[in-house]
Amino acid sequence: MQRYTINIIFLAAAVSLVAAAAAGLFDNYILTVLMFMGINIIFASSLNLVNGHMGEFSCGHAGFMCVGAYVGSLLSVVFFTSNKFFGDPLFPPEAAPFLFPLVLILASLAAALFGLIVALPSFHTRDDYLAIITIAANYIIISIVENIDAIGGPRGFSGMKRTMNVMGDVIHLPWMLIWVLIGCFVCITVLYRLVTSTYGKGIPAVCQNEVAAEIMGVNTNKVKIMAFMVSSGLAGMAGVLYAHVYGYVNAQAFNILKSTEGLVMVYLGGMGSISGVILAAVAFTLLVEALRFVIPAANDLLHIWGILPASSELSQIWKWVIIPLILILLMQLRPEGLLGNKELTHVFPRLRRWVSFK
Amino acid sequence: MALLEINGLTQRFSGLQALTNFSFSLEERELVGLIGPNGAGKTTAFNVVSGFYVPTEGTIVFDGTPIMGLRPHQVAGLGIARTFQNIRLWNDMPVLDNIRIAQSHWLGYGFWGAVWRSARYRNSEAAVEKKSREVIEMMGLNDVADELPKNLPYGLQRRVELARALSTSPKLLLLDEPAAGLNSADVDGLIKHIRWIHDSFPIAIWMIEHQMKVVMALCRRLCVIDFGRSIADGLPAEVQANPDVIKAYLGDDTL
Ligand SMILES: Nc1ncnc2c1ncn2[C@@H]1O[C@H](COP(=O)(O)OP(=O)(O)OP(=O)(O)O)[C@@H](O)[C@H]1O
Ligand SMILES: [Mg+2]
Repeated sequence: MQRYTINIIFLAAAVSLVAAAAAGLFDNYILTVLMFMGINIIFASSLNLVNGHMGEFSCGHAGFMCVGAYVGSLLSVVFFTSNKFFGDPLFPPEAAPFLFPLVLILASLAAALFGLIVALPSFHTRDDYLAIITIAANYIIISIVENIDAIGGPRGFSGMKRTMNVMGDVIHLPWMLIWVLIGCFVCITVLYRLVTSTYGKGIPAVCQNEVAAEIMGVNTNKVKIMAFMVSSGLAGMAGVLYAHVYGYVNAQAFNILKSTEGLVMVYLGGMGSISGVILAAVAFTLLVEALRFVIPAANDLLHIWGILPASSELSQIWKWVIIPLILILLMQLRPEGLLGNKELTHVFPRLRRWVSFK
Repeated sequence: MALLEINGLTQRFSGLQALTNFSFSLEERELVGLIGPNGAGKTTAFNVVSGFYVPTEGTIVFDGTPIMGLRPHQVAGLGIARTFQNIRLWNDMPVLDNIRIAQSHWLGYGFWGAVWRSARYRNSEAAVEKKSREVIEMMGLNDVADELPKNLPYGLQRRVELARALSTSPKLLLLDEPAAGLNSADVDGLIKHIRWIHDSFPIAIWMIEHQMKVVMALCRRLCVIDFGRSIADGLPAEVQANPDVIKAYLGDDTL
């Protein structure tokens, strides 16, 4: 029973969310925030596999999200909508709700392949040098995309929004919310099952003592390839979802700032802690949204109190002062993150009566 | 045929020759000591056999298979396990996991098996669990199975490392200064453990050790190495009387 508790809770929560959304209980804004929360969970927890469990410092994670976003968008346009390049849709539009997982899978695989850009150099390079390679990978991917005019180049790419509409026409459901929830479930299940298997424990073994791992029989190169590909593949999945929720993609949305957001969530949650990073992703999404209201409110207050002269305004740019500031405070006060490398069930042992991840 | 045959091994590091034309052979179930002054090249010999370095020259045949150029995890899979001069455990994972991970070479499932939790995965994990528990029990580590190695006293850490090596059911066990840093009670325990391992399993042991007490208690044959060259190989008494060995150790009071 315990082993299914998490799944049951998740299923119940997911079904009630979808039902509430279908019944129109959420306005569009709340719905979008919820979906971005899910996308952030996938994005951050996949990064956590490399930065937390494997102890490498990837700072180009958004690059793989970019691959997923573009490949997914293209596939979705080719599969389900008629367009001037490919003509009629490849599949009947009624199939869209059932074939969308195919888009998710193929785009994730494409992103996983791009993970090799980092995985192969990691055989001989570690730490700072590998970190530089990850930044380079991020830039390479963005530059490639921006220079392919057929997919919009620097103007970005849209059209996948129509896929969502097509799905809605077949059966009227909040489809994107459903796919985000499924994506989260798949992502966390894959990560959890991987890191609790003996095979997956090769990942922290590489982090904690690579020489011992290799000499005691762990194929460290294979483990690195696997970890980087899984991590970038899942980021790709987050990218597909992101593109379809927005209905528009632009390569610059996946630049180093986006990668940094991933880092903030991972370090906020605690490296190597799956539940910690999920909590952090939720908290981070809420924080970013809260700042949208807090900054104007603070602006008004400061004007009323006369601290800020009428000529100047607090703009949303302050988000990028406040978030790094939080990171600095966090590193000073609790460098191991909310949960350190522990899971919720270690911090609150009583939870174990109710749940055991399986 | 010998279990391990090393022939004319030379290992050069930029400018420095750590091993020169080193030859050595070891029969099945033998327990042989490797001694020599500091920096003689003992650990380097182990590193080359483990596959950590590709030798500049020479051949190594283990159990009929040439192993030069194989990656270390492949060498481990053939049945060579080792411990390290400076303990190398996975310090942030419990002792039990340290033993489990050492079973990687015979898991028989990969990423998809782990994610799908296939029948093969479940059987394999059950076998790994059983094997690891057995080794933990056997090495008297039951009480610390869930502890992190970094929180254990030094002597126990050494024992965990020995248990981890043994858990791979190796045909050849390489021990790099297993008694280094142990107090005398721990040293006595270690001698007992190694003797018991050697008596209970079909295993050959090749051991680097500076403490003569340990070497004399366990080894029936000694190989002496100095400046990367083998200078003596034979019964402990013969080796101790060998003038070259005395010269190599002159000023060194360990012998
Ligand atoms: N990777 C390396 N690169 C360069 N030189 C090395 C390397 N590894 C070992 N050496 C050198 O090779 C020589 C032999 O080293 P080794 O560690 O094999 O000695 P040892 O016999 O194990 O000594 P000790 O008793 O101190 O452990 C030393 O001079 C050492 O500095
Ligand atoms: Mg040494």
